[in-house]
Amino acid sequence: MTVATAKPKAPPGRFGRFLKTAAIIFESRVATIGLFMVLFWIVAGLISLVWTPHDPNASDFMINQGSSAQNWLGTDALGRDVFSRVMAGTQVILLKTRIPDINWFGSFTTPNFVMPGGVAIWGVLGSLTLGSVLGLNAGYRGGWWDQAISQVMDALIAFPRIVLYLVVIAALGTGDLVMVLAISITGAPGIARLARSLALDIKTRDYIRAAETRGEGKTYIMFKEILPNALGPLLVDAMLRVGYAIFTIGTLGFLGVGLPPPEPDWGSMIADSRKFMRSTLYPILAPAFAISSLVIGLNLFADGLREEITRFQK
Amino acid sequence: MARFIFRSIISTIVTMLLVSITLFILLEFERPSVAKERPCSGIIRKILGIMATPEQCVSFRNQLGIDQPLPLRYVDWLAGNDWRAESKTGYPLVTLDNLNSGEEEWWMEVDGRYMQFEIDGEDLVALVRQEDGFVEREVMNDLWRPNDDGAGEQFWGVDNKGRAVKWLLGSGKTAFISTQTGWQEIDNAPDDYLPLRKGMLRGDPGFSLRTNRPVNSQIFRRIRNTALLAGLAFAVVMPLALVLGIVAGVNEGKLIDRVISVGGLFGTATPEFVTGMLLILVFAIWLKMFPAVSVFTTDKLSLSDWKKFALPVLTLTTVELGYIIRMTRASMVEVMNTSYIRTAIIKGMPFKRVVFKHAIRNALMAPITIIMLHVNWLIGGIVVVEAIFGYPGLGTYIYDSAIFGDVNALEASAMVTVLVAVVTRLLGDLAYTYLNPRIRYS
Repeated sequence: MTVATAKPKAPPGRFGRFLKTAAIIFESRVATIGLFMVLFWIVAGLISLVWTPHDPNASDFMINQGSSAQNWLGTDALGRDVFSRVMAGTQVILLKTRIPDINWFGSFTTPNFVMPGGVAIWGVLGSLTLGSVLGLNAGYRGGWWDQAISQVMDALIAFPRIVLYLVVIAALGTGDLVMVLAISITGAPGIARLARSLALDIKTRDYIRAAETRGEGKTYIMFKEILPNALGPLLVDAMLRVGYAIFTIGTLGFLGVGLPPPEPDWGSMIADSRKFMRSTLYPILAPAFAISSLVIGLNLFADGLREEITRFQK
Repeated sequence: MARFIFRSIISTIVTMLLVSITLFILLEFERPSVAKERPCSGIIRKILGIMATPEQCVSFRNQLGIDQPLPLRYVDWLAGNDWRAESKTGYPLVTLDNLNSGEEEWWMEVDGRYMQFEIDGEDLVALVRQEDGFVEREVMNDLWRPNDDGAGEQFWGVDNKGRAVKWLLGSGKTAFISTQTGWQEIDNAPDDYLPLRKGMLRGDPGFSLRTNRPVNSQIFRRIRNTALLAGLAFAVVMPLALVLGIVAGVNEGKLIDRVISVGGLFGTATPEFVTGMLLILVFAIWLKMFPAVSVFTTDKLSLSDWKKFALPVLTLTTVELGYIIRMTRASMVEVMNTSYIRTAIIKGMPFKRVVFKHAIRNALMAPITIIMLHVNWLIGGIVVVEAIFGYPGLGTYIYDSAIFGDVNALEASAMVTVLVAVVTRLLGDLAYTYLNPRIRYS
């Protein structure tokens, strides 16, 4: 760690402390590379909210064209600009979640409410919340709590992930909120396991003894004493899970049961362009590259961060 | 050790039960008020489409038997309902193989003869099964019994679609049945239906809603096909991944390690469908070596069609290679840093001998058992790859069933995948405990 001697003003503010913590990222080359790969797509998505070269949903051009000065990555089978669509494809994953009207006659109504934060982000936040609550209870309370929670988590882990997704989708249909729910459910057991093992470790520490002697309640100890100390590894794990979630959203989109249109989605872009593989490759290669690079970026970022944190702890 | 095995097996059984409950509730739970107000909601809407009328949906629900309470249906699904139906019909119910298709059919045994029933006007007609498998029609009006409330006459019997049904004499009730040509309204329909099944525990998941044939007639073939594909992929992946992992682990930090590790990361971080697309592009479109889909013209898959297996196997290999390499590499690195290996090197033993004689044996134990613990992850990959290439295995079956809303088939096939995952995990646990004395008695 670089020692911050340059600031004699004693306690740095919240933001200052955050910056200092964030500086860990740049100590690891792997994490830095990962961070920039992820930032690239976030920035691309943010820009696409206000500007894309062309309207991503408008069939303005000839179909299945190659790269040109007008369409940098060509056009797809409906004559839409691939570059704009790849840019805008970041939105549903990372930047916005569409909450549709309650309408029983089909899902093709315009969503009346858009929530900031993408499907992958909300899904992982959901599994982080669910998983850590369950895991902390199992680890700290022990006994029957542990038995029961671990058994249920084991059952959920036993499902091949994609099968569980397909089951949830068969039961609840497709949609942004269903996807958030599915990601939360499938991700929770893994996080619960991690939280449980962290809680088992942390609860033997002296400061937990001290809190117990003070007469603090169990909930207080779990969420005010254990959770802050377990947060680092949990967040790193959550970061990896954002990668898995993007991966799965892509796969389900490819299988035709992912996020609903009209917003472009990388997985369904590939599925739609598959039939025209012999004419043009851009609508397949561009989103494929997008998914892979985003997932690899998140992986690198999380791996590097984990290495740095564990070194720090040792 | 015996106690450990016992505990693991019990825990596995509990896990399976929990899985089955989760699956059942996810797919079949409905609030009764919702089901009453909007009979077409949920999975029924999915199967019947948006044009179905509420009357049709109510009739369809009755035919599927899903108007009964959830716990009862769960017991039916798990343990069968023929015993429940027998108490209603008063005669034993048996399954006999259809001599043409080989599929099981339900018959009611009346005085030593096997019968199914239908209604013709006011007459109750028995279809009596002959030795040669054909049926003869016989009017059997003496089987009518007094109604529950004593107002008329009723009969509980087996119809020719594998359901226990209740007819009321002269009720004139109509039902909507879905046929290939669309919806049909039939007269003299039964009042109540109870689709017969032996239950999952006795190996009968019931009828597929998509094909109207027993799930069993499909699923075993699908499992075999998937096992074939998985076996082929396994045979390719394992040796390759272990060798590459060992090479990377021995040369930790060198260029070759970086190349293998980063290559593996790319393989794993690229979704299966992207890898599949790229391989199709290269091998099917540019090189024209292998077909781009694995569609078979016969039920019996054979390896003489090996070209059709090539791309699915290659995709699975690329996707799963990186993961196993990473395991093997980590294990190898750990072993290479132990003091006994250092001792062997320092005492002047040839490096090759150290690696092959001392390191590998210990290093391979961990990845092989860890792989067994992660079989559900591998199954997930196979599901996607099958769906990409249209390979007729369990994965496409799950996918098609999920799209259609075929809950019986979906539950059965999901249970199969979970069973495989859980059993291999159990075996992996046991193997690990057996091979590693340090954790055996803790």
